[in-house]
Amino acid sequence: MDVALETEQLGKRYGKRWALQDCSLRLPTGRIVGLVGPNGAGKSTLLHLAVGLLRPDAGEVRLFGRSPYDNPAVLPDIGFVAQDTPLYRDFTAAELVQLGGRMNRRWDAALARERLAQLGIPPKLPVGRLSGGQRAQVALALALAKRPRLLLLDEPVASLDPLARREFLQSLMGSVTDSGTTVLLSSHLLADLERTCDHLVVLHSSRVRLAGAVDDLVDAHRQLVGPRHIGEPIAGVGTVVRARHTDRQSTLLARIDGVVDPEWTVHDVTLEDVILGYLADGETTVTRTDWEVPA
Amino acid sequence: MIEFVLDARSKVNTYVQLIQQVKQALRVGLLVPGDQLPKVRDVAQSLAINPNTVLKAYRELEIEGLVEGRPGVGTFVRRTLGGPPVADQAELRADLVAWLGRARAAGLSPEDVIALVETTLRATLAAEAVRTQPASAG
Amino acid sequence: MIWLTWRQHRRQALFTLVALLALAALMIPTGLMMRASYADKGLAECLRVLNAVQPDPGRAGPCSRALNQFADQFNSMSLLGVLFLVLPLIVGLFWGAPLVAREVEQGTHRFAWTQGIGRRQWALVKFGFVAVVAVLVAVVYGLGMSWWVAPLTGAAQQNRFDVFFFDMQGVTPIGYTLFAVALGICAGVYWPRMMPAMAVTLGGFIGLRILLTVLARPHYLPLETRAIPIEGTIGEPGGASGDWIIDKGIRDAGGTMVLPGAQAACGAESARPAGGRCPPLEEFGEGAYNWQLFQPADRFWLFQGIESGIFVALAAVLLYLAVRRIRRVA
Repeated sequence: MDVALETEQLGKRYGKRWALQDCSLRLPTGRIVGLVGPNGAGKSTLLHLAVGLLRPDAGEVRLFGRSPYDNPAVLPDIGFVAQDTPLYRDFTAAELVQLGGRMNRRWDAALARERLAQLGIPPKLPVGRLSGGQRAQVALALALAKRPRLLLLDEPVASLDPLARREFLQSLMGSVTDSGTTVLLSSHLLADLERTCDHLVVLHSSRVRLAGAVDDLVDAHRQLVGPRHIGEPIAGVGTVVRARHTDRQSTLLARIDGVVDPEWTVHDVTLEDVILGYLADGETTVTRTDWEVPA
Repeated sequence: MIEFVLDARSKVNTYVQLIQQVKQALRVGLLVPGDQLPKVRDVAQSLAINPNTVLKAYRELEIEGLVEGRPGVGTFVRRTLGGPPVADQAELRADLVAWLGRARAAGLSPEDVIALVETTLRATLAAEAVRTQPASAG
Repeated sequence: MIWLTWRQHRRQALFTLVALLALAALMIPTGLMMRASYADKGLAECLRVLNAVQPDPGRAGPCSRALNQFADQFNSMSLLGVLFLVLPLIVGLFWGAPLVAREVEQGTHRFAWTQGIGRRQWALVKFGFVAVVAVLVAVVYGLGMSWWVAPLTGAAQQNRFDVFFFDMQGVTPIGYTLFAVALGICAGVYWPRMMPAMAVTLGGFIGLRILLTVLARPHYLPLETRAIPIEGTIGEPGGASGDWIIDKGIRDAGGTMVLPGAQAACGAESARPAGGRCPPLEEFGEGAYNWQLFQPADRFWLFQGIESGIFVALAAVLLYLAVRRIRRVA
């Protein structure tokens, strides 16, 4: 299995705060990888480390076997669309296509023009005056025109309205089918990820909580409902990801490794259930006393 | 050519939904042998879903022998999916009507009937699966 | 890459060009006017008369009047000259500081630096382009200013070494401009936000300029001293030489400073009481003399070269630091 992006004990620190810590991942080629986590979880940091914008403070990151930091040799292999799709706002879309041609040795201007024409993007208007959705499409078209081996998208649809979001994901999926590019896509919109991704990385509080192929992850987890449970091991259950209790009943999200004790009712889970389970698990808890209200 | 739709609220896996829709189309005769299924790219784009999901659904259908992929051309229907002969269906239906009469007499409401059918179906299928598994493993 | 730089900054370039043209529209007519008036009044000749060791009293009067007239008419023009002093700073603030800072502030560096070109190459081309344009602009206005200010300096009997006059003509504006741009770029790399970068540029430029002007410039070369006798001197001692007098005073025959900061002359013999002695000599004793610490006038271009050289060297260091640091910008 070819590896597009590999990190080992990767860490990045801003001052005293670790934005990313102990991150070890292997992302296979040909996948669409979803990078999930709440704001500030370290998604952008990981992406910026992967494209060489940031220097790691710990560990290693390798893009197709090469370290991306301060290494222009990896640049032709990546297409990057940063958060809020920054583009030179006074450039027209046509000029941006031209610009890409001058800043890249491998550049498929025809592909970019074709896509933008199909989407009805006006070529002679400064991109600052386009809608957010159109601007995101321009950024995507530019990233794809590099014919990258790995396409990295940082929250590409977060600021888009539902229609523009849908259109963006449509054109992304269409072009990924054509090119076979590996995609790493960060988002906090779970529904979008569930449809588009076949591989998943869950980040929370600067650490990787979960990583793997979506089907495997969903298959490996179950929701269990049964009598109140106080931490004793359950047959067939590997790890309990999250537990909720009432006075006589417990509901568990668990990674299973065999036939579960028949005392428990077992339910299948969706990808969203799994993700939410891991995110809730990582949540920092604020107690009532922090708010100075009676418990 | 058919067009896929997705039920976003359904808990059924996306690729399973695609398979079900193809089978449904085969059953009602919307698709007949020789018809082409939508191209992977078009499905991925129009539904904004992962192309691998579409590929997986088509592969599953291929394994079941319902469709065949022709490299570089597309995926085509190989055979149709007819249920059992209509005569058999009529017989089963008559049995079911009689059984429903007994259920009504026993005081079961329509909801009770559906719940009973569903649980029984699931239990039976599960038992069958357990019975066939050691055989296939061995 | 050069195309990008041009395309990205062409509006700025246009603004600069328009500003330069506007300045030219202001400076060329006033410059011509001053030169015409200077020639009409025969000021060049007048200055020779007034600066002679023994001025002809018959011609000195009208000449002084002519000079005063000229000064009354055009002295307000010196204010315009101040504008030229801040031009390098403006270039540094609006060309240098935003170069990286604006890119980072708007996030476009994430776009630019993930294209096929490494950011070091990006920086070299951009910094180089902007520096070359800044130097061209500086050459134009430096030379223009020298031409424009010449009659003013002449008529006001201003020393070319004087603060402001030294700073706005010759080659120093080129050094200042290059330095200001480099400082702006470097500040933008180290503090990649517009406001901090501009603030650092502003503070750094003004601070260093004042520091060098006040403390360092008089000592670029060893100072020379000279003694000018009080007897026989009329007018300002050594006034016409164009030397840059750093310090002066009156010393007695033994060489002890008796009156710092002052100079004395006997004045015309006719003004004295018959047989009276030269009054300052009466006051300070026989053998007292005017003492001066100075840089000779012929060092003007040397000093221009040294001053520009310092700023060009600083600019080079700053640009080097900026290119080195650019890979650390996040």
